[in-house]
Amino acid sequence: MRAPLHLPLVLAVLATTSTALAHHSFAVFDRTKKVTLTGTVKDFQWTNPHTWIQVVIADDKGNATEWGVECGSPNMMARTGWKKTSLKAGDRVTAVVNPLLDGRPNGSLVTITLADGTVLGPGDAPPPKPLGAQ
Amino acid sequence: MQRASLRSLLTCLAAACAVVGCGAPLPADQTAKAPPATGSSAPKTAAERGFTGVFLPTGTLEEPAGFAQWPNTPWPKSPPFTPAGAAESQRLNDHGNFTACAPGGPVFHMWEVGLFPIQLLEAPGQLVIQREASGLVRRIYLDGRAHPPDDEIVATWNGHSVGTWDGDVLVVDTVGTNGRARAANGVGSNAKPSSLDSDPRFPVSDALHLVERFRLVANNELLEDEMTIEDPKYYTEKVVLKHYFQRRPDIDMLEYFCGDNPRRD
Repeated sequence: MRAPLHLPLVLAVLATTSTALAHHSFAVFDRTKKVTLTGTVKDFQWTNPHTWIQVVIADDKGNATEWGVECGSPNMMARTGWKKTSLKAGDRVTAVVNPLLDGRPNGSLVTITLADGTVLGPGDAPPPKPLGAQ
Repeated sequence: MQRASLRSLLTCLAAACAVVGCGAPLPADQTAKAPPATGSSAPKTAAERGFTGVFLPTGTLEEPAGFAQWPNTPWPKSPPFTPAGAAESQRLNDHGNFTACAPGGPVFHMWEVGLFPIQLLEAPGQLVIQREASGLVRRIYLDGRAHPPDDEIVATWNGHSVGTWDGDVLVVDTVGTNGRARAANGVGSNAKPSSLDSDPRFPVSDALHLVERFRLVANNELLEDEMTIEDPKYYTEKVVLKHYFQRRPDIDMLEYFCGDNPRRD
């Protein structure tokens, strides 16, 4: 029987496969920490090797911070409920991320709650099937 | 009148042909050697043997063995490295091994946990293995050819592969890799990223000679790939591993291109 993948670890490992992150390891993300971001989508980059969500967060003082949230690849995301239209600029979302260790506003997605209440993961392996089930 | 005469002539010719034969006669030995086009004695295709379709590598990063009854072989903790192999493994540990979205090569290609599926496609005389995460395919010639001579072979990421059937087992022999493919570890080799562990990386050089025995098990639901890795530049002895792929007709292959969005953050 296969257990579900450890999503942050998968993301992190995948991150090391990308051109984007080829020059720094996935240890840049603090997998022991989760940060909840509630804000407005500025941009949704439905691209390989990873998709990115740019989210603008406003604090109590009205200061805006833009976070980059890294997800899986479109093929994996499409198999786990995502569509290229799942997000658009202006959507209000709540994302839980593993943040960068260095404090910059960037993280790998754990879960996200869309404007319509749908909860999605970062994009993962196809749902497993036990032997003999098909 | 003329039309009736022509009809009579054709009728006579037809009758004469029926008696003596008008077509070019086939040599007796040619008809005797003509193989049947179909039938039980015809060689089975890879598709008829069940070797085509979409398969998902078994195992996860947390449970790399996959199905308990058909476990993937773990990589050795103390690989039989040559000094050059140990040095290359250490270099990859120090600097990472996923740089520049390099293709995986035949070992990494077949050693992926269940993130990206593979598809086996058959064309006359060849079986093609497409890995979703790689734009390059493994092309296995089944037409009886041999590898090109060493001085003529064109070194490539996936190398040159020829296959033969040993009963129900497809034996695939691969040489001619360029030695620059991603080293198996991290994704696909049940280890963790180099930043998290000290497990060795498993590079293969351009001296790789890979022999794989593919067979279907578990009521044809699993494709078993027994890999014998022979690489005298990096390993002092052969490394034998088994990896399994689950047939998943419910999955459609999609596209993946590693270098699409090269963000620096």
